Amino acid sequence: MAEATRTARSLPKINPVDRPYWEGAAAGRLLLQRCNRCGKVQFFPRPVCVECFGGDLAWIQAKGSGTIHSFTWVRVPRNPAFKDETPICYVNVILDEGVIMESRLVGAGCERVKLGDRVRVAFQETSSPEIKLPVFELA
Amino acid sequence: MRRRKVCFVSYGSTEYSRKSEASVLTHYADAIRQALERAGISKKEIQGLSITTQASPDFSPHVAEQLGLELDWVLNGDYGGAGGVMSVRRAADAIEAGHIDLAVLVGGNSFDRSTPHQRPLEYQRANYVDVYGYGGPNSLMALIQRLHMERFGTTLEQLGRIAIAQRENALNNPQALFRQPMTMKDYLESRMISDPIRLFDCVMPCSGAECVVLASEEKARSITDKLVYLVTDAEKVHYQVAEMIPDKTTFGIKVVGERLFREVRREEIDLFEIYDDYPIAVLIQIEDLGYCAKGEGGRFVEGHDLTWHGDFPVNTGGGQLSVGQAGLAGGFLHIVEALRQLRGEAEGHQVKKAERALVTGIGWLNYGRNLGTTAGLIMERRQ
Ligand SMILES: [Zn+2]
Repeated sequence: MAEATRTARSLPKINPVDRPYWEGAAAGRLLLQRCNRCGKVQFFPRPVCVECFGGDLAWIQAKGSGTIHSFTWVRVPRNPAFKDETPICYVNVILDEGVIMESRLVGAGCERVKLGDRVRVAFQETSSPEIKLPVFELA
Repeated sequence: MRRRKVCFVSYGSTEYSRKSEASVLTHYADAIRQALERAGISKKEIQGLSITTQASPDFSPHVAEQLGLELDWVLNGDYGGAGGVMSVRRAADAIEAGHIDLAVLVGGNSFDRSTPHQRPLEYQRANYVDVYGYGGPNSLMALIQRLHMERFGTTLEQLGRIAIAQRENALNNPQALFRQPMTMKDYLESRMISDPIRLFDCVMPCSGAECVVLASEEKARSITDKLVYLVTDAEKVHYQVAEMIPDKTTFGIKVVGERLFREVRREEIDLFEIYDDYPIAVLIQIEDLGYCAKGEGGRFVEGHDLTWHGDFPVNTGGGQLSVGQAGLAGGFLHIVEALRQLRGEAEGHQVKKAERALVTGIGWLNYGRNLGTTAGLIMERRQ
């Protein structure tokens, strides 16, 4: 149905800068950029270190653990394709590596989430075999 | 920085409506025509044009061609909700530099989804936000509001006071889309959108346009005897952008306020037109501007009357929360209302002593933080 394709769930449009991130996620690994010049770890992936402006960025594997910084229950998603999944628990997680990440909380007990809860990354299948989405579960 | 000789000389506002057959260009033209007629300025006197829009066509020379304007300066001031204040800053720079003597700045939107605005560079939103079923600005503000409530004990009733006061301000503003009184019960029981953000926390998208006219002091004197000066202005773009764990409850307005109040004392401001996409955004800006300590905003709005006849008048025409948000006209709505007040033309909601106004603009949702663009200005009526 044309209607269904028009409101498909959004998938990332992979670009040269964040290709390693998505390849890592597909393999069940959460990758972050780390600057080879100053050591800064950053998220989301960018072409440059936001601290020292260096261009030599390595990829490190995050531990995949963190804490809930803030959350909201999305009842009106911007993309209507997500409507049948509402309310969606949209979260800000501070990873133990010291970066903030926006994602979704899924799994058991998420309706009782509160600030400071410990979480662990999980990788959710999508309609594309090459793409898995990093999401979080209560630890 | 203190401005030397730049004045606001006129303004125009179109009618606001939920849906509109007219294109954004027609709304622009209507707002500009009204501004020109109010001050008796001929079209040929326009030397500079700035547009601020979320809708196509958004190419400033194209708009000038459509409107038949031959110009010496153009700008597409597309900086989200801060676009109004930031356009004023850039036009004032051009006037002070002597490039032009008069500029028309306009913002607006037509609620027409047939011409979607493309943002091709915004891949972080597509790849790291939208894929999770994000709820847009409502969800971003919800994340900030929850943090503020948990950290500082801010209550929904305190936030409701802002929405309710602004609604009272809108009762005598014919432009406002919402002109029926709002009770605390109405506010607290409105439909949940993205917890804890409810329907009456959110602005209403609509069609319309706002326009302000800026001129050199010399030119201004030839146009009007109601001289309103741009005293000072400042902006901060991407505050804390390199911090990987930013403080989401403080906006760049903190830095903007520090700069503005080097030139004019906090206590000398008579009215506040604070960019309001959500009550929590107004409350945080009151804190960031230093009218109370961080975290005390809830108690501050309990202790003050925010209506046009109160001791701390905020968004005296109802703000976007009650007037509606015609796209990036939102960044101009606050400037136009300040101008109305300072010229003594705010019929039915005129602040008694209106000599000095502070206007802010905030916009552009960035990743994991709060707002990418923040700006403010102070304007003053002089004889
Ligand atoms: Zn670096």
